[in-house]
Order: sequence, then C-alpha cells, then structure tokens
Amino acid sequence: MPDEKPKVEKRGGLGGLFDNMKEIMYGMAAHDMSRYALRTRASMEHLFILITMGDLIGVPILPPYYSLRLLPYVVPNIATWKRRMLREKDVSDAMF
Amino acid sequence: MSLKDVFEKNPNRRYIMFGGKGGLGKTTFSAATAYWLASQGKKVLVFSVDPQASLTDIFQKDIFGKGPVKIMENLWAQEIDADSHIKNYQGEIRKKILDMYGFDQIPEEIEDYIQAASAEPAMEESAIFDAVVDIIVEGKYDYYIYDLVPLGHALYYLSMAKVYDEWINKITKLREEMREYETMVAKIKRQKETDEDKILTELMYIKGRINASSGILTDKEKTAFFFVVVPEEMIILDTQKAAELFAKFDVPIAGYVVNRVLPTELHTQNVPAYLKNRLAMQDGYLDKIKVTLGDQVKGFVPELERDVTGLAMIEKLAKIMYG
Repeated sequence: MPDEKPKVEKRGGLGGLFDNMKEIMYGMAAHDMSRYALRTRASMEHLFILITMGDLIGVPILPPYYSLRLLPYVVPNIATWKRRMLREKDVSDAMF
Repeated sequence: MSLKDVFEKNPNRRYIMFGGKGGLGKTTFSAATAYWLASQGKKVLVFSVDPQASLTDIFQKDIFGKGPVKIMENLWAQEIDADSHIKNYQGEIRKKILDMYGFDQIPEEIEDYIQAASAEPAMEESAIFDAVVDIIVEGKYDYYIYDLVPLGHALYYLSMAKVYDEWINKITKLREEMREYETMVAKIKRQKETDEDKILTELMYIKGRINASSGILTDKEKTAFFFVVVPEEMIILDTQKAAELFAKFDVPIAGYVVNRVLPTELHTQNVPAYLKNRLAMQDGYLDKIKVTLGDQVKGFVPELERDVTGLAMIEKLAKIMYG
C-alpha cells in the first residue's frame, strides 16, 4: 500500500475555494470508485498470498523455493489475510 | 559423425549434458568430455546436479560443496551441496525480514513457514536448480558439462523449469492486474506516482532466472543432450521411452553414446562359453541399436580393463571417445 502523502497546506481566498470545490467534487464523484478499486486491489493481494503462501493455512502450494523469496514482502499482510480467509464465508452471508 | 565431429561442427555449443539410467557411465562420460575439451584449450566446468554426486569419486578429490575446484589446467569441477545452499537461502530470507521490519526475531508463524517450506520434498531439487542458474548466469566458462541425475529425476529436473515458468507467469499476471488497480486509484486521486511494487520486481527477477535456465535446456544451438546406453535390451527400451519424453520437453537430443561394448577382439580368441554367449547377445543388441538409432549413435566405447577413476583413466577414456 502506498504511504499516506503529507497533507498540502490549505490555501486561502479564491485558490482555497477552488481546492474545496475540488475535494467536494472528488468526494461526490470519485471517492466511491477509488474505494471500490482499493477493495478489489486488497482482495487480489489476499488471493496472491493464497497462491504463493497457501502452505501457511494448509493449502499445499508448488513450488515453495521461490515463494520464500516473496515472504518478506507479505509479512505485514499475513494476519489480515488469515482473518479474511476465515471470514470470507460466514453466518452473516445468509442474512444479506 | 563421430563425437569429435559433433563438437567441431557446433562451435556455439556451450552446455553439454549426459543422461541415462543410473550406473551406465554418465559421470564417466561427463568427466572424459570435460577433460578432452579442457585439453583443447577450452575453459570447462563440469558440475553435478545429483544429490548423490560422484564427481568426487571419479576425480579422486573431495569437491563436495566447495564451489568450483580446479582439477587441472582449464578444468574445474563442482558438486552442489543442496543442504547448505538451502541453509544460506533461509538465512538470507530471515535477514531480509529482520531488516525490513526492524524485528528482533522472526515471528513464530513466519519461522514455522520457513522451516516447513524447506522440508518440502521438492526443496532440494529446487535449490540445486537455483544453484545451477547461479553458475550459468555468471558465464565464466566456455563449456558447462552437466553430470545429470538418472532418467526419472532428470525428467523431473527438466519439467521443473516448465512448472516454474507457468506458475510464475500466472502470478506475475495477477500482480500486474493489481498494479492496474493501483494506478487507477492514483489517477482518480490525481496522485502523480505510485510506489514501486517490490513483489512485482522480485517476480520479474525470479522469472528472468527461470527463463535463463529453461531457455538453455531447450536451446538447439547452444545445448547438446547425449543419451548414454549400453547394449542390453531393457536399457535400450527404457532409453527409447525416455527420449520420447525428453522430446516432449523440447530437449535437443544430440545423439547416443553406447558404453560398455565388449572388445571385438574377443571374438577371435578362445574364450569360455559364458563369454561367447555374452558376445553373441551383445552383437544382437548392437545391431538393434544400429537399426533403431542409426546415425544418431555418435560413438561406441569399449568396456575397459578397470573402472574409470583418476585422471590417467579419464585421459585414456577421452582418447577413446575423441581420438
């Protein structure tokens, strides 16, 4: 995930108004889109870990040699991935 | 065309492999070929991909896990120690994790995974495969002689390149799709650039290595694969089956070398009935080899008076094989 960019300082006057308008437009039109894209991206990240590191939850994966090379990069995502794998189909699915 | 002609007519060949069932003389031929090429002034590395390698025995020098060991002028030999290769590799992964996240120690779950992955049956072969890529990518020698494992394992080794190739293509594609989503979000948010995807970079690196290796195995110009056979029925049949399988993996088969041919002068000598029978049987199989394999047979090597170990015997064999 890209790091949070440092906030740009607010401008005053007309420029500030323009900035605000821009943010409102973004919020109305594009925020949902980008949130959806990020969610899809996150699902794919989890799919990717499943394909490469499935052994971690007991799904045998071939070949482990090169998977190890990728291990360092997915270390921070493993916890959320495991949670997600377990959550994917739960009781609440039937309710909606 | 003799073996010598095969080498002289294909000066671009760099990778020479001898394959065949166990105990037929793969290591012996690898050593003799390496010896001959080295004595022609070529820089040669003969290396074994067999966990039960026998280069140490044939050169009568302990070379296991010692990297390329100089045998004589222009000739180096190497036996890959898969275990220590795996240990070093695990160490590198651990160090990377510690460095990247500033951990004091590897989280238990991750450590378990590293241990479990390394216990996989394919791990040893994969480690050797990777070590071979290291050797070849470096490109320091004129000739690389692979002393291969017996047939079944060799097929596994060859197919590994293909399996890896497909695996890596699939996950690279997934990773690239993920990348597209990231760029899209960046565009919507009007961010100028996205962070580099380190996993994608790593995948590209792995892909490059696998392609280098599988490319060599199927390169008709640079690679020659020789089958070692002996004039015995089962060996001939098995070798034919193996040749078909190898062809499926696009391995360029450069020819067959027949080993352990009883000296023909025995025919004219007064030998016991046992040996007479063996000679008659062998003549039958030699005819069969000539009919089925024809001019693909590049040489007949006689059964020598003693086994081939030590440089003097290797030299003798090289003279027989290459004149």
